[in-house]
Amino acid sequence: MKILNCPLNGPRNIQEFVYGGPVQDMPAVDAPDAAWADYVFLEDNAAAVVREWWMHVASGYWFIAERDTRTDDILRTYAPGAPERTGDA
Amino acid sequence: MTARLAPPYGLLLDRDRSIRFSFEGQPIEGYAGDTIASALAANDIWLLSRSFKYHRPRGILSMAGDDANTLVQLPDEPNVLADLHRISDGLAVTGQHYTGSLRSDGGQWIERIAKFLPVGFYYRAFHKPRGIWDFWEKRIRARAGLGTVNEAVRGRYYDKEYAFAEVAVVGAGAAGVAAAIEAARAGRQVVLIERQPILGGALNHARVDARATRGVDLAGALAEDLAAVEDRITILTDATCTGLFDDNLLAVVTGNRLIKLRAEQVVLATGAIEQPMVFANNDLPGIMMGSAAQRLLWLYAVRPGRHAVVVTVNGDGYGVALDLAEAGVTVQAIVDLRTAAAPDSRVEEAVSRRYPILQGFTVDRAIANAGGHHLAGVDLVPAEKDDMATPARRHIACDLLCMAVGWAPAASLAAHAGAAVTYDETANSFTVADLPPTIHATGALAGIWNTDDAIAHGRHTGRRAAGSHGEPTAKTDAAQLSVSAPFPCSETGDGKAFVDFDEDLTPEDIRNSIAEGFDHIELLKRFSTVGMGPSQGRQSVTNALRLLCRETGQAIQESQGWTNRPPAFPEKIGQLAGRGFDPVRKTPMHDRHLEAGAGMMVAGNWLRPVGYGSNLSEAAIAEARAVRNGVGLIDVSTLGGIDLRGPDVVEFLNRLYTMDYTKQPVGRGRYALMCDMTGTVMDDGVACRMAQDHFYVTATTGNSDGVYRSMLQWNAQWRLEVDIANMTGAFAAVNIAGPQSRKVLGPLCEGIDLSAAGFPYMAVGEASVAGMPARIMRVGFVGELGYEIHVPAGYGEALWDALTDAGRPYHCRPFGVEAQRILRLEKGHIIIGQDTDGLTHPHEAGMGWAIGKRKPFFVGKRAIDIQMARGLERVLVGFTLPPQTAVLPEECHLVFKGEDIVGRVTSIVRSPTLGQPIGMAYTAPDRAEPGMPILIKGPMGRYIQGTVAALPFYDPENRRQAG
Amino acid sequence: MSSAVPVDPTQYSRRSFVYRRLRDAGAVFADCGDTAIADGYPGRGGLPSRMALIDLSPLPRIGFKGPQTLEWLSRQAVTIPARNNRAERQTDGALAIRLADTEVTILGDIDSRDNTVSRLENRPPAGGCYPVPRRDSHVWFVLCGGKAPACLQKLCGVDLRIGRFEDLAVAQTSLARLSAQIVRQDHGNVPTFHILADSASALYLWDVLVDAMDEYLGGLAGRSALRALRETRG
Repeated sequence: MKILNCPLNGPRNIQEFVYGGPVQDMPAVDAPDAAWADYVFLEDNAAAVVREWWMHVASGYWFIAERDTRTDDILRTYAPGAPERTGDA
Repeated sequence: MTARLAPPYGLLLDRDRSIRFSFEGQPIEGYAGDTIASALAANDIWLLSRSFKYHRPRGILSMAGDDANTLVQLPDEPNVLADLHRISDGLAVTGQHYTGSLRSDGGQWIERIAKFLPVGFYYRAFHKPRGIWDFWEKRIRARAGLGTVNEAVRGRYYDKEYAFAEVAVVGAGAAGVAAAIEAARAGRQVVLIERQPILGGALNHARVDARATRGVDLAGALAEDLAAVEDRITILTDATCTGLFDDNLLAVVTGNRLIKLRAEQVVLATGAIEQPMVFANNDLPGIMMGSAAQRLLWLYAVRPGRHAVVVTVNGDGYGVALDLAEAGVTVQAIVDLRTAAAPDSRVEEAVSRRYPILQGFTVDRAIANAGGHHLAGVDLVPAEKDDMATPARRHIACDLLCMAVGWAPAASLAAHAGAAVTYDETANSFTVADLPPTIHATGALAGIWNTDDAIAHGRHTGRRAAGSHGEPTAKTDAAQLSVSAPFPCSETGDGKAFVDFDEDLTPEDIRNSIAEGFDHIELLKRFSTVGMGPSQGRQSVTNALRLLCRETGQAIQESQGWTNRPPAFPEKIGQLAGRGFDPVRKTPMHDRHLEAGAGMMVAGNWLRPVGYGSNLSEAAIAEARAVRNGVGLIDVSTLGGIDLRGPDVVEFLNRLYTMDYTKQPVGRGRYALMCDMTGTVMDDGVACRMAQDHFYVTATTGNSDGVYRSMLQWNAQWRLEVDIANMTGAFAAVNIAGPQSRKVLGPLCEGIDLSAAGFPYMAVGEASVAGMPARIMRVGFVGELGYEIHVPAGYGEALWDALTDAGRPYHCRPFGVEAQRILRLEKGHIIIGQDTDGLTHPHEAGMGWAIGKRKPFFVGKRAIDIQMARGLERVLVGFTLPPQTAVLPEECHLVFKGEDIVGRVTSIVRSPTLGQPIGMAYTAPDRAEPGMPILIKGPMGRYIQGTVAALPFYDPENRRQAG
Repeated sequence: MSSAVPVDPTQYSRRSFVYRRLRDAGAVFADCGDTAIADGYPGRGGLPSRMALIDLSPLPRIGFKGPQTLEWLSRQAVTIPARNNRAERQTDGALAIRLADTEVTILGDIDSRDNTVSRLENRPPAGGCYPVPRRDSHVWFVLCGGKAPACLQKLCGVDLRIGRFEDLAVAQTSLARLSAQIVRQDHGNVPTFHILADSASALYLWDVLVDAMDEYLGGLAGRSALRALRETRG
């Protein structure tokens, strides 16, 4: 069972967390239909370091994790809006 | 018990305590500490089981719980390993998988038709001619499987525990104990895990050199060192590590408990598993591993036979012979597969004692006694047969054959951790490499066979795990010790030779599988089932790989076995389930519902009353009538409630819900509809403006946690100035509904004007109800005058009591979820998740009115617009059926337009108020006008015609609810 | 045993979430303001020596959320813990638990001698700091005893060992599959853990804790026992 390092609570069993999808910017309100369909339905599925939303259920805390999908290593976690504050994995 | 030996044999026995149990109905006596197998062996009973396919007699093989030849049945548990399970008073043990008795199993005949049952025969049989499976299925089910489950057994107490260690050491043999001691000396907190009841591993039973006591000396010395650091070591015996997971989480099962142990560093000292030889009838009781015979002697004080032959390629076999002889067993011969033995003090001692030693011979076949249940002798042939057409056979009578032809590292946990377990031709065995940095291997697992080297390596590994650096000492050259035979397989003998005992597979079966094209180890495993039995290939993968490489010409160097996955040893489902925590939420009025005779149902993770009374369908009708005609109470504490506060609260609501809340006055509630990004309706409720910057929003019971989570996630992105607080459990809430509701509630209220003018439909306010602080809303889900009262949860029961008392003169009665569903359907209100599905967008459900037209954005807006541009494909309508309709369609019955399916029924009930069946259904947009027919395919495929009706069915002018 | 006049929980409009369980177990209740609290269990002789479970749900407590929470509470003379997931004792016996940069819960003192909670309840905060009704949203149990960490370890995956989880440490985690806050605050020299969890799951959690305690010969205790423990400064 993996350990995920929560920026608020420290290292915890991954079962304490819920995955919330990839971090992505919403298209502009008037962007074309295709851009919206892409945003809602499609994921890049990259073999790379991706940014994801995770929530610590017991504290209701949402944060961002950077994970290498090739090794499943979580490289760092941080509060949204604060990428310069590092929480090491 | 004539086979028992006096001390110092019998390390695990408590001879002061006799235990009486039975086997196959026969009373047996043993000692406390005996396993079933050892107690039976002491009583000269060696037949323990019948094999899976051919029902061949089987008995002790490893005496360590590594094989499955000892599976027996207990009254409340099948498939118990007799060589591990300790006897207890009154235990009734029987064999499994036989017809008649264990001794004369009617199933034995199947071996006679073995040639019609080649490997994988079942892939091609039992399906032609059509219908033949019906004949065979019952018979196969009756014969298949091993033990029997006793369905009358009540659940046992299982549980789980989390534990933590700086260094976890798996295996308490010489290397493991040494590692644990050194890690503790370096100041680390250590957990030492051992499958057997005592520490020491092979030191307790192996003969490591000519002097018999050497192993025991070493064990004693380690025990002293261990005692010196015992405050830093937690020792778990009778504990099996079944899996090694991400970030060093170890699963350890012990008794009825599963321990989830998180370790910073892991030392694997799990040792090695002795491997069998393959020759005709190598599965007879009386044929066992050399280490099994030594375990019987040293741990259980049982003489394993009277006349023994030892077949070997290493010094261990000679050590076995020495042990046997000293225990009074006649060593008839030591059969050494090698032409010349490597130098070893045990070999020299055997030679000096003049044991009969046959160099360069091998076992050709084993011969059973007259009853067919036990070994009576072996035939030997020269090991190098070359071009001998008929090799000269030598026969030796014996009742015990010990195999000491090699070892395989017990590498399951290393494999779980991602190590490379590959075959090494210089060692004739698998080796473990590429372990992750925090996991270390030592002892026999790491290929270190010499005991002194294993202890030294264990010490170094313990220090490394504790954080010091430096390479461990180089191990003794394995090739020089000639520990394992390269190919201990002889096929010249007459009779079945077994590669896999669990699955009754012979070398011919392996070759036939390869000939069919399954020539990769993973394919070979799946087609032939080699390694898929209870022992999971522990004693078969090595020989199977050797056979595969010989047959296909593939190089065996660096070949791997099949992928090894947890669990490494059997786990019970009870251990995995533990206490089975299943949180349930109850409202503060829960006991009042039970006292009033409610039948409860699960809604989300809450319990809610379905209705009150023994006949819930009748109760629902009566309760609905009471609300329409008078007044009723329903506990709605389970509905979600979220407090949104802050300067950006309106902006937040506008982005998340479909309506526009900008102009909503303080003191008013407004319908709240939430969609997801695909435009699908997700949840609904009421948004009450308590103050300029404060909204209290309700949500459905099942979705409130999801709505809260979603709000938090959106605001983590938007970062608006709004605080989101989940108040669901903090408030108890009651909905009082019916024409008399104002008369009941009014007198209880202080600080509020409940008149029609003072508190109109959708008004919201705060007041004191029966002396308790409350939020009151005038809402209408059921279509009558009604109020929802929210109080802090601690007051819930008192509020319910106050309303019940105040309502008594008006015949107020509690109503449950079922009555509420009838009432809301009469009023045409949808239930999200019942009348909507995973694709329903607001316009399909007739809720276009709930969409704020001037908002530039809300979650799902674009998706709704895109779908609407394509046009509606279906719409939700109300419908009625004639009152005399005898059989009603049910939810999810389909709606047809001609031959085409255009929708389905979502809700239906016989309305007590309207006197006829009413419902909601999806249908084609051009069939949605009130008055049009609607065709439903009901039960038994019969078509039922209804009429589309305008919603609501009841009180279309809203006089009752909003007046 | 307290010399307070025994009361019946149903005399009050406000009731503990588990009062029936406690009453059935033989609890004697005492007044604590606007509700009743289980003060002791006659015949069980004070605090069970190995492990005790106590219901403190009736006691006052309050929470605050929002970006100005820490600032506003400091201005109200509340001693705020310096880091998240830490607790800090107040001079009147209350306990301030800092759950995040934007959330604090204040647990009232067991004798309600405190005025911290009532002081804060009566003073509506300025903008950016919002009160939350922790007395109703969360249940408050206390588990104390030398083996309390081992007992909780059967329910919780956070390392709660005495040497690892210090006095005044806070863990927000899953306890028997419930979201819970665990706060260590030793009384006397006995390891003591406050457990705060969803109030609607109170009965479920109570039963789980009683079951988990059984192995350690744990028993129920009342407020008096905790008061007595606190007074034996180790």
